[in-house]
Amino acid sequence: MSQSETPASIRIPIAGLLAWLVPGLGHLYIGDRGRGLVFMITISATFWAGITVGGAGSTIDPQHRKLWFTAQLLTGAQSLVAVAIHQKAIASYPPSEQTPIIGHWLSIDVGTHYTGVAGLLNLLVILDAIFCADPATRNRLAAANSKGSAAT
Amino acid sequence: MNILANFLFSGLDLAGLPRFPFMLPLCLSIAIVYKTARCYNLKELPAAALILWVTIVSGMVLVGVGLWVVFTLLA
Repeated sequence: MSQSETPASIRIPIAGLLAWLVPGLGHLYIGDRGRGLVFMITISATFWAGITVGGAGSTIDPQHRKLWFTAQLLTGAQSLVAVAIHQKAIASYPPSEQTPIIGHWLSIDVGTHYTGVAGLLNLLVILDAIFCADPATRNRLAAANSKGSAAT
Repeated sequence: MNILANFLFSGLDLAGLPRFPFMLPLCLSIAIVYKTARCYNLKELPAAALILWVTIVSGMVLVGVGLWVVFTLLA
């Protein structure tokens, strides 16, 4: 059974899951290659730029920045890699230091904003992938575009 | 390899004015992702994203200047 013949009830959750796992992968799965690559490059670059600026030791902080961490988790596998780097960074500190601040606080803030915004942008991408995985919706969008009412 | 590990662990040292330019790529990223989702035709993307980026940055600069004026007057 080819990908286009997959029922919408299977296609939609798979597209959503793939879009969460790797930004843009949901769009690649439904055949929207250009859009998928733009999402993948932009969101991954934003996320890793944030990690580079703030440092994984402090930018990813599941204990003290719970809401930001929730947003960061929306970038999927990349956030899990960053959590692993964070754990490694924390483990390199003595156990007596409960809240090690590794790096400059301003860099940490900038890094946290970058990674959090990358996650929130991926939420938009996940919703778009779920929306576009439904063939009826795609046909409706194509029809609206051919009438010259493309959304910009 | 050590330099990369240090960057990923501890990040950069930012202070003062150099932190402001970091707003520009973040706004560009928001503009690109939003317009990629909205534009049906990807050929429209560069122009649409650029216009949105300029709008976001101008809006934030205007809000920043406005708040700075208000706080200066109140001080």
